[in-house]
Amino acid sequence: MKINFSGKETIEVAPQTLWDAVIDPEILQKVVPGCREMRAVGEAEYIMAVDLKVAAVGGSFEGKIALFDMKSPSRCQITVSGAGTLGTGNGTASVVIADAGDGKSTISYEADGDVGGLVAGVGQRVLMGVVKHLTRQFFTSLKKQFTSPSSA
Amino acid sequence: MRDKKYRFLSQPRRVVEDRRFVAGKGHYIADYDHADMAHVALMPCHLPAARIDAIDASAALAMPGVIDVVTGAELAAAIDPLMNGLDTPKVRRYPLAVGQVRYAGEWVCAVIAESRAIAEDAIEHIRLETTALPFVLDPEQALRDDSPPVHPDHNSNLLLDKKFVWGPVDDDFAAADHQLDFCVTWGRNSTVPIETFGVVAEWNAWAQMLDIRASVQMPKYADQIARALGLAGNQVRVHYDIDVGGSYGVKRGIKHAVLTGYLALKLHRPVRLIEDRLENMRAGDAHGPERKFDVSVAFDKDGTVRSMKMRALDNAGAYAGRAPFQLGKPIGAIVGPYRIGSVAYQAISVTTNKAAQEAVRGFGQAPTNYALETAMDRVAAFLDMDRLALRQHNLIKADEFPYLIPSGSTYDSGDYHTVIDKVMAAADYPRLVATCNQLRKDGMMAGIGIAACLEPSGGNASFEPLLNESNQTTTWMESCQINIDALGAVTARIHTTSSGQGHETLVSTVIGEILGIDPDSIRVVRPNSLESLPGNSPVGSRMAIMLGGAAARAAEKLKAKILAIAAHHLQCDAANIDYQGGAMLSANGRHITWGDIIELAHRQIHGLPDGMDPGLASFDIMQVPTGGDLPKDGKVHMYPCYSFEFHLVLVTFDPIIGKPEIRSYTIGHDCGTVINPAIVSGMTYGGIAHGIGAALLEEFAYDESGQLMTQSFLDYLMPSSHEVPDIQLVKHCTPSPHTVFGQKGSGESGYLGAPAAISSAINHAVAGLNISFDKLPIRMSVISDKIAAATQHRSDSE
Repeated sequence: MKINFSGKETIEVAPQTLWDAVIDPEILQKVVPGCREMRAVGEAEYIMAVDLKVAAVGGSFEGKIALFDMKSPSRCQITVSGAGTLGTGNGTASVVIADAGDGKSTISYEADGDVGGLVAGVGQRVLMGVVKHLTRQFFTSLKKQFTSPSSA
Repeated sequence: MRDKKYRFLSQPRRVVEDRRFVAGKGHYIADYDHADMAHVALMPCHLPAARIDAIDASAALAMPGVIDVVTGAELAAAIDPLMNGLDTPKVRRYPLAVGQVRYAGEWVCAVIAESRAIAEDAIEHIRLETTALPFVLDPEQALRDDSPPVHPDHNSNLLLDKKFVWGPVDDDFAAADHQLDFCVTWGRNSTVPIETFGVVAEWNAWAQMLDIRASVQMPKYADQIARALGLAGNQVRVHYDIDVGGSYGVKRGIKHAVLTGYLALKLHRPVRLIEDRLENMRAGDAHGPERKFDVSVAFDKDGTVRSMKMRALDNAGAYAGRAPFQLGKPIGAIVGPYRIGSVAYQAISVTTNKAAQEAVRGFGQAPTNYALETAMDRVAAFLDMDRLALRQHNLIKADEFPYLIPSGSTYDSGDYHTVIDKVMAAADYPRLVATCNQLRKDGMMAGIGIAACLEPSGGNASFEPLLNESNQTTTWMESCQINIDALGAVTARIHTTSSGQGHETLVSTVIGEILGIDPDSIRVVRPNSLESLPGNSPVGSRMAIMLGGAAARAAEKLKAKILAIAAHHLQCDAANIDYQGGAMLSANGRHITWGDIIELAHRQIHGLPDGMDPGLASFDIMQVPTGGDLPKDGKVHMYPCYSFEFHLVLVTFDPIIGKPEIRSYTIGHDCGTVINPAIVSGMTYGGIAHGIGAALLEEFAYDESGQLMTQSFLDYLMPSSHEVPDIQLVKHCTPSPHTVFGQKGSGESGYLGAPAAISSAINHAVAGLNISFDKLPIRMSVISDKIAAATQHRSDSE
């Protein structure tokens, strides 16, 4: 089934700092909800493993992430494709980072995807809620990366 | 003979099987264990169509407890494709996807491990690489030249396209006063038993024997397994003494048994596969007919329906399965209970990227009945005639039996008008109408639904040669063996599993009746397939007629032998002996006891008539009554018996919420002589509940990207005690002339007419809004949306 979502967040760091963070697998592993593993397998290509709980079903998902059309520090396209016990998913997102002044940035995203299997069949009724929740979690963790003193 | 009061038959006797089931002592497939058991879990692919590029199981195989991972490619190299039945050799089907995935959820490989849990965990470590392919879900689209073929080798999605014209259809249409066309769709639903399918296969290399235990309801099961695995018929032994936790058609289990059989042969371990709900709902044998009907009816001003043209387009899903033949069985009752003089019927079966469809209760008859009854309602509305009066005008009359219908079947017997009269009286029809009107006055939507329909019974396979000339199957026998042991106890053997039909009760009642002994003293056992006589399992509402018939005939043979022994002993003619209750035989004041007969038969051949064999054993292999001819000119006589049912329901719902509530449900049922009343009533009540599901709730629904949206009971909604009302059952008995006691089938009763009746009621309720519901299930969201659109209710408030 098709899912698409979009949004915009303001992050209290300059665009270049934000850009460097979101293409850093180590940081991504910390901020992507349920992420067990995130490793680079090529130039702007990663393998990701996550454990998630969606509605009544929980399970794992392993996928490939590729970044392209990268224009540091302002925009890139991301494709995700993978599968796991939760089902299959693939999609494309375009991300735009803009300077918001005062050392802040905005990050806006638009994602179009297709999910199949358990997550589509069983998770359908709550899928958009879960997507919202996971996105919020992602940005909360990302913001923490810039405020917590332990972060690099 | 039929008029005489039976001693055990038709009496309110307890169902033998119920005792162990109610006490929780049934013995199901999951209860069968083995210390060395290996367990299977199945890995699905979630794309509706995809090329399989690679399956890397190395990480899974490295896990402790994982025994093997088997792919479709490995299977295809080792076994033959599963039986198809049609002339479509390039629509090949294996237990696992071979090279290509054809529906979301199809199994691509099997993981075998020391436990089911390990096998499931291992699936997470298998890397499946696929390339998505174009797919098609809609059957009309699948027929188009530019549609992606589900089976590229077959080069088309068409499995079957048969056109029949029975009688002067064109003339009748030309002569009729009116013609009316409509389209209705039967949604993809099924029977969904609580117990999913399960099978255990064990290979004994020293005996060269494959033992199969399965929760199965499948004709020729052992033969099909042997054929696919390349074994001799006597190397496969199917054990019938496993209780089956529900089926009504869907426990086919052939792909599962072939897969586990292959694994047992390969691994030399007993192998168990029990589907979880997801495996079952996505890719087990869970799905039933999904059918679109384009119907034209020609009729006169007075309501006489002269002729009908029906195009039935069936969405078989990804493989042939039994789906195409489910278009064939309804030919045997294509005019329902009505005197429709001519019919044109086009049966089209098409592959799409949905799960393969299997047999479901009624084998295609319930959808056809729904289309027929919709036609009756539409004609009545067109003529502004009472729906019941229109039906009564067209129904076959009691004095017209035997009645030959245009497609070649001869209905055995019936008294449809009387059954309807009894139902109208029992339901207090004027009061029902008053209640309906009052509900409407109170602001509710309310409608009365009616449906009259037939249950063809005594299943044979006549539709197979009708749809496929190279298939010459004309017998569909059933058998029974009886032995009376040296202590005088009677044991009968039946050669099938049972999935709730009460076969042990059926057989013991019939034998008890004929031998005049208490059915509860008769033991019914189920030997394995190698110890069995030929049979075809409980399909096509046939066992009361066929297994009951074989048991009765075997018992008659035994009784004749008992009488011959008695006559010899008493030195009189057997015809003059009064056979009393099995225990006593007397002639001219002399008598011989049951014990004496046993003693003579088992120990004293010198006391037996010359040339008589010792012992008291008999068997019978029974051909379906009236069956046996190949089709001629597109016509064939199909089933021997035709049960009748008439449904009368009152449905009401709030116009905004749209949740239907069944206020009143009365069914009249005539299945001839009833052998066990509790079983027949149970079948009928359950059938109505099943029909409520089909009418209002149940659907294997796919979204536009080919994903199954109803993979569990969260979304595949089943009727519960909230939706199933009290049901008033009105009985009538018109015996069949073709069966031993006048019995007809009842295994599909209720289900065959309930969806039509409920649809009729809902459509009656909304008739004033000039809308109609043309697709089942009619879910509450559809009702409320359509009413809102019709009344502008919602747009006003927004």
